[in-house]
Amino acid sequence: MKALSKIVVLVAVVASLTSCHDKGAPNYQYFPNMYQSVAYEPYQESAAFGNGKEGQLPANGSIPRGYTPYEYPNTPEGYEAAKANLKSPLTAEEVDLKKGEELFTIYCAICHGDKGDGKGNLAKREKFAGVPNYKDRVITEGSIFHVETYGLNMMGSHANQLSQTERWQVAHYVMKLKSE
Amino acid sequence: MSSHYEAPIRKPLIIGDKNYHDVTVDVARPVEGRANKHWWIAFTIALIAFLWGVACVSYTVGTGIGTWGSNKTVGWAWDITNFVWWVGIGHAGTLISAVLLLFRQKWRMAINRSAEAMTIFSVIQAAMFPVFHMGRPWLAYWVMPIPNQFGSLWVNFNSPLLWDVFAISTYLSVSLVFWWTGLLPDFAMLRDRAVTPFTKRVYSIVSFGWSGRAKDWQRFEEVSLVLAGLATPLVLSVHTIVSFDFATSVIPGWHTTILPPYFVAGAIFSGFAMVNTLLIIMRKVSNLEAYITVQHIELMNIVIMITGSIVGTAYITELFIAWYSGVEYEQYAFINRATGPYWWAYLLMMTCNVVSPQVMWFKKIRTSIMVSFIISIVVNIGMWFERFVIIVTSLHRDYLPSSWTMFQPTFVDAGFFIGTIGFFFVLFLLYSRSFPVIAQAEVKSIMKTSSETYKKLRDNGHDNHSHSEHNHH
Repeated sequence: MKALSKIVVLVAVVASLTSCHDKGAPNYQYFPNMYQSVAYEPYQESAAFGNGKEGQLPANGSIPRGYTPYEYPNTPEGYEAAKANLKSPLTAEEVDLKKGEELFTIYCAICHGDKGDGKGNLAKREKFAGVPNYKDRVITEGSIFHVETYGLNMMGSHANQLSQTERWQVAHYVMKLKSE
Repeated sequence: MSSHYEAPIRKPLIIGDKNYHDVTVDVARPVEGRANKHWWIAFTIALIAFLWGVACVSYTVGTGIGTWGSNKTVGWAWDITNFVWWVGIGHAGTLISAVLLLFRQKWRMAINRSAEAMTIFSVIQAAMFPVFHMGRPWLAYWVMPIPNQFGSLWVNFNSPLLWDVFAISTYLSVSLVFWWTGLLPDFAMLRDRAVTPFTKRVYSIVSFGWSGRAKDWQRFEEVSLVLAGLATPLVLSVHTIVSFDFATSVIPGWHTTILPPYFVAGAIFSGFAMVNTLLIIMRKVSNLEAYITVQHIELMNIVIMITGSIVGTAYITELFIAWYSGVEYEQYAFINRATGPYWWAYLLMMTCNVVSPQVMWFKKIRTSIMVSFIISIVVNIGMWFERFVIIVTSLHRDYLPSSWTMFQPTFVDAGFFIGTIGFFFVLFLLYSRSFPVIAQAEVKSIMKTSSETYKKLRDNGHDNHSHSEHNHH
């Protein structure tokens, strides 16, 4: 009986020690020596920057190594010019339709549909209307790249999500969908 | 007793006209009486030193190890020096209580209690250095192989520093149990003599209901013998493991196979010296001259002399092997010890450890309490410098001359050391006022063989049993 009461006391102590953790807040820490970063980490907030954000904009006109600026302006004239003149820089060996399909499925198919027929999930659920079928439109790889980069009408820019090469892979895949 | 044979050459271990009751009274007197002014003065000084040490340790833990004089080349200095020194001092207690028990040395009985207390208290001091010399002492529990949420991240059992953890913690716990077991009959004696309810209660608790029945005594003796048998290999292995901290390294001056026995010899050497220092004072202030006799001091001096000679032999062996090895790093390490910037420390160590115990060859000196006291202190200074020399001189100049540097301790280094000395004496002074400092039960067991009274009776031909009931009251 004595042993039982000791066990009860032990359980009570353990329970009271461990029950202080509030699931709505971060847990207690024991000597958090190298838990918080001394260096600036991406996306962190910091009073060291004017807008409080670690991610600061690069200077206008600066070009990082390995990046080619896109020269066509975000205007109807630019769109037409890209449609007429812009050609894919990818060679036949570099075009990777499998990769293009994966990227298309992730970033485009939700609206445009897996077949590019404008019947994506969101369109089918009538979240919004007006997604065209690729087959109904005159598009070239240049115009696709231009629209991916800047967006058009309801579509936003996808330059944040996709690198230049990836946008070209998607453009090749879209041309394939259109041709099917 | 009727046919007891005791060589007449043996001198009495209990002097004066003492009977069993006198032993009880003499042992209980310091516990039952009130502390005098000198005790309070000594205690206050020790307490201040201890508190100063606490302040220095707090400062170190709060601010960082950089408050010490250690640097990038000499990463170990006073911390480990003091650690090894305290561990070494602790070894004499176990030597006296365990090894001398195995060798049936009756003279250990008057000194083993205090020697064991010294062990416990100095191991406590020693154990603080491995913790507080850590950069992050609050993670010290990581040295334990505890199942955990880091995928059960384990310790590496290849490091002598981990063996230190096991060695020291085992040593402390075994010594504590050994000590406390021996204390049970003595605490029971104090319990039975207690006049105030408070002391009665306290000594009832600590004596675990000892009633001194034949079966109890039989098991008590068995346990003591088994623990002595366990403590003896333990005491040898503990300081061996401590020496592995250095011997298993690749540092010239450290990487030596002689270190384990040499460290153990040094530990016995310094430990016995410390026992001598303490007991010479204790026998005086607690009026225990009848039990801690000049013969006890002489025998301890002989142990000091023997182990001092072993240490001296080890020094010479090291020097010879350094020369004989043909390894220029090793040779330089010893040239540096003798003639480098720490030549004075090496000279001090050599003088205190090699020369001073040799004076014990003279009977006049080893039976002189005053000289014994001075030499016991000299030995401990020498043994501190031995560890300092081994650690610092080997580190401050080793393979790469570009890494050569010097070591300069700070006041925090010193404060920590002073603090442990203070803490040691706080514990020892409290012990001497509340514990039976002589194992009265054991001393009573040699009353009829080794006390002056009975020896005289035997010398006069009265070795008949009837005379052992002789009562001199």
